[in-house]
Amino acid sequence: MTALTMLFTLVCGAVLQAVLPTWRWFGHANVPILLGIVLYYAVTHPRGMLLGAAVIGGLLQDALGMIPLGYSSFCFCVVALSAARFKDIVFEHEVITHMLFGALAAGLSTLLLYLLLIGAGVVVGARPGWGALKVIGSVILGGVVSPFVFEAMGALDRMLGNVEARE
Amino acid sequence: MMRERSVVVWVVLAAVLLTVLNLPESVSHRIKSVLREGLAPLQQLVTGVTRKFSESARSIRGIGDLAEQNRLMAAELFHLRNEVRDLKTLAEENLELRRQLDFSRRSPRNLVAGEVIARDISGWWHTIRLNRGTGDGVVADMAVVTLDGLVGKTIHVSSRTADVLLISDPSSRVSARIARTGSFGVVTGTGETGAGRVLCVMQFMNKNVPILEGDEVVTSGLGGVFPKGLLIGYVEKVYRDETGLFQRADVVPRADLGLLTYVFAVVEEGHEIDEYLRRKQFEEAVRP
Repeated sequence: MTALTMLFTLVCGAVLQAVLPTWRWFGHANVPILLGIVLYYAVTHPRGMLLGAAVIGGLLQDALGMIPLGYSSFCFCVVALSAARFKDIVFEHEVITHMLFGALAAGLSTLLLYLLLIGAGVVVGARPGWGALKVIGSVILGGVVSPFVFEAMGALDRMLGNVEARE
Repeated sequence: MMRERSVVVWVVLAAVLLTVLNLPESVSHRIKSVLREGLAPLQQLVTGVTRKFSESARSIRGIGDLAEQNRLMAAELFHLRNEVRDLKTLAEENLELRRQLDFSRRSPRNLVAGEVIARDISGWWHTIRLNRGTGDGVVADMAVVTLDGLVGKTIHVSSRTADVLLISDPSSRVSARIARTGSFGVVTGTGETGAGRVLCVMQFMNKNVPILEGDEVVTSGLGGVFPKGLLIGYVEKVYRDETGLFQRADVVPRADLGLLTYVFAVVEEGHEIDEYLRRKQFEEAVRP
């Protein structure tokens, strides 16, 4: 049931992310819904679910855009594993933790993706200033969006009984 | 035991990622197509609902402006009727001139209407997704237009969806010419300027031909992707390029690329390239 919930939320998150607008002040960084969901699984679920969410979420993000398949999965895995490593030294159910994790994860993920895309020569005309703006935009959006995603995901998990089943 | 499991997880993860990252282009394309098509109905549903909401909100806000809108539309109708009258004369004149110059007749353009169901999810490219694909006659490398002008070209097409690279994307290249002078050049996207406006640049134009602000930029028909004569936009600023060999111009696209809802893919019946344009380009190139 938890795996099905994860798949369902990732699909819904991908669709939502594709519909939501981007803003030039944030370097047209996307609203990191998928990353927020991956992060939720990284912080609150075992490692298997974390990796599953990261790989599937990344594949969905790449499939719905022009990013070569696998790039986002790689970035999501790195970010999610980093978050899982540090989750024990913070209060994992605090909003401030979600904000901080969301901001850092979105920034790191965007930076990694930027380096990968530039390295592979996939993005044309990407100036460093534009990349920096996108990273900053991601940090802000990640910090804002993650608490909402965590709250929504937590509510869904509680409603479906996934949390009790896990605990 | 725990440590062994952890190693297994890492190895599996590394294997999966390496496999996915090194998939052949055709397999990767197929996987993407399957995922896109699976999600397309959901995307269309969500886009439709959000559009309905925003349209309702807009109409509620606009009730007070109806009288003013009515007046403006009546004035516009008057101007348009006058323009149509002028255009009829011009069309007849054009036909006569084409006959005199022995031009081939321009084939009518078939258009496939499509709805924009999503924008680029990653934020790294300027693309949109349409709810039309190969099943509707859309293939890769088709020009996409609105009633205002050129929007871009199709790049990845599955049976029910098509991704369109907008002309504002830095990787977009459109062979173009200035309608008034016939000067050829290449229109490239720049992303957005600091003021947030979409801007393109027309490059490699003959430095000896004067280009004026407000000049119309249209597709040249060369290159085989974009049909001839599609309006791209208007020249905003003209300047010499760094080498001093050509002149460049900032071009503001006529179509509002930020507010696309319905667009048309142009199905050309054979890529007609005008001999006259070829000759003119050659003459321009050899001109001292």
